[in-house]
Amino acid sequence: MHERLRQALPSVLSVLLALAVCWALIAVTMAPGTATDAYLQMLWGGIGNWPGWLDGSAATTITRPLGEAAMKAALLTLTGLSVAVAFKVGLFNIGAQGQMILGALAAAIVGAHLSLPAVLHVPTALLAAALAGGAWAGLAALLKLYRGVHEVISTIMLNWVALRLVDNWLVIGPLRGVAEGGQSITGTAEIQPTAVLPRLLGDLSRLNLGFPLALLLAVALWLWLSRTRSGFETRAVGLGAEAARTAGVPVARRTGVAMALAGAMAGLAGAVLVLGTEGRYPGTLGAPYGFDGIAIALIGNNHPLGAMLAALFFGVLRAGGTRMQMLHVHPTFPELIQGLALLFVAGRQVWLALLRRRESSAPAVTSSTASTAQVPRA
Amino acid sequence: MLEILRALLFSTLDAAPALVFAALGAVLSERAGVVSVGMEGMMRVGAFCAAVAALKMPLPLAVAVGMLAGAALAAVHGFLSIRWRSDQVVSGIALNLVALAGGSFLLESLYGPNGTPAIEGATRWNIPGLQSVPVLSALSGHSAPTYLALVLPFVLQGLLARTPLGLRLRAVGDKPHAVATLGLSVAGLRWGAVLGGGLMAGLGGAVLSTCVLGRFEQHTPAGLGFIALAAMVFGRWTPVGAFLAALFFTFGDALRIGLASSAPGLLDVVPQGMLQALPYVLTLALLTLQGQRGNAPAALGVPYEQESR
Repeated sequence: MHERLRQALPSVLSVLLALAVCWALIAVTMAPGTATDAYLQMLWGGIGNWPGWLDGSAATTITRPLGEAAMKAALLTLTGLSVAVAFKVGLFNIGAQGQMILGALAAAIVGAHLSLPAVLHVPTALLAAALAGGAWAGLAALLKLYRGVHEVISTIMLNWVALRLVDNWLVIGPLRGVAEGGQSITGTAEIQPTAVLPRLLGDLSRLNLGFPLALLLAVALWLWLSRTRSGFETRAVGLGAEAARTAGVPVARRTGVAMALAGAMAGLAGAVLVLGTEGRYPGTLGAPYGFDGIAIALIGNNHPLGAMLAALFFGVLRAGGTRMQMLHVHPTFPELIQGLALLFVAGRQVWLALLRRRESSAPAVTSSTASTAQVPRA
Repeated sequence: MLEILRALLFSTLDAAPALVFAALGAVLSERAGVVSVGMEGMMRVGAFCAAVAALKMPLPLAVAVGMLAGAALAAVHGFLSIRWRSDQVVSGIALNLVALAGGSFLLESLYGPNGTPAIEGATRWNIPGLQSVPVLSALSGHSAPTYLALVLPFVLQGLLARTPLGLRLRAVGDKPHAVATLGLSVAGLRWGAVLGGGLMAGLGGAVLSTCVLGRFEQHTPAGLGFIALAAMVFGRWTPVGAFLAALFFTFGDALRIGLASSAPGLLDVVPQGMLQALPYVLTLALLTLQGQRGNAPAALGVPYEQESR
């Protein structure tokens, strides 16, 4: 079996198993037919209602769902990349949520309070978000490098600090927006039209520049990690900091840069949410995209392109999930599928053992040593 | 002034048990070398199952159901991290996600989005003679979980520090290979600690939904499981330390709520959100001062492999 394929197999099987378990869950609690229908609705809600379109409905029956899926996929890709990049240098970034919150806030402030032409305004807001997220993650990296504070604990704490300070103070206090007519609204002020991420299909869907940006960044990160010296050194640190140090790799610098990059990705996710769909920092960022990023990165085997693929898949499920409600299935079902898939991916060793057994029982194939978990120890 | 202090102390002691139990569970699990990031999820299933059970059966039985539910989730954690040596943080995070999404799904399909019906809390016990003592009278009038939470940390501390079993549990978190050399089962000890931690996290969740909140809501336990981790770190991985940290966090919360209602002017000077962020900032500050992992078990998060010596 091709090595790359073997690496991806546990993830694919995990996702399939999660889908099957959740299908069974609906089938048992409701009816098997309902379960199948719900999955179909989820699919139509995610990739477009093709049967409906072929029967003569408007083009938006396809473009709208695809746009929603692309939006969700962009956010999941960016937070997934955030977690995956940190993994590559051996750190477990649980703080993508906090970094995303700060990125979103920075984008909202720059978007609302700076006056620039659109050509400059969007990039400035994105940059501000990346810097804010990067700085927040950099804090965890500094604590790790200079005080030995474990990043799992520090990023969890930083998540809560960001959430409390931003959601429970800044956006309801000093930064609270005022709508036309002097009424105060929840969330920050509306961003200026120049800061809005351009929509790619106009009124046909909410698909915006954030989607290609996320895909581009996934490819760029993959190229950086696999084709450049600094990327190689980053991975070397992740595989063994001491060995890398002995080989002359500047471990502290690689760790700091990778973590800052991770924060920048999460920050950009916040910016894409604010500049692309919300239009301002809402009362609360709501969905825990940062935590989803952990699942996306791990299901994607910590590979930038793997994370991208996982994000595309779950973006479709997440966008389509709301349509399940028509059949009275709970809309958080896609999240349950995602959580279960991660749980099964966590059992990677079980999959590998199962696959090994199958292979060694087949006569012609010699069992090769399956590689162990890809996850650096947290 | 004394009356205010009494009221603060009373509400602290009323709300603290959930966090105390979860923090103790985290200490137990991590002392044996298994990371317990899954506390939040274990609390959530414990809280949910206990709340559902409490609507149908006597309260003590319902709490037991919650504990078993926490242990069931812990068993999954044990299966993945002990039996299959998976990454413990990944497994814990996965359990949190499953508990979050699964809890919402089950809650909504059973009771709708607004949470379970209200649950009648536990009976409150008055300690005779304490009523008339100023401030200390806050100790009286609580339900059983509070009194258990005041005793259990010291029992656990004694167990870990003074008994052979405690010694083995700590050793398995520091030097599992040495424990194996003595002919003891590393996996067995870790399984015990993880399941015990799950029971306690389940207890914490059960107490939260049945006694403290009086119902299970969409967001229960709203991050309390992570604060339990903070309390454990703050308390330097000791039961009594974690207990004091948990009390401190709960007191801060009671103080914040008390201030918000009695002195609204103060909140213009120090915003609510800033006060809410304080425990986390404090934890970070303490960790920064402590440096190098504080008092954490040496083999924490390292899967045990028999072959590698």
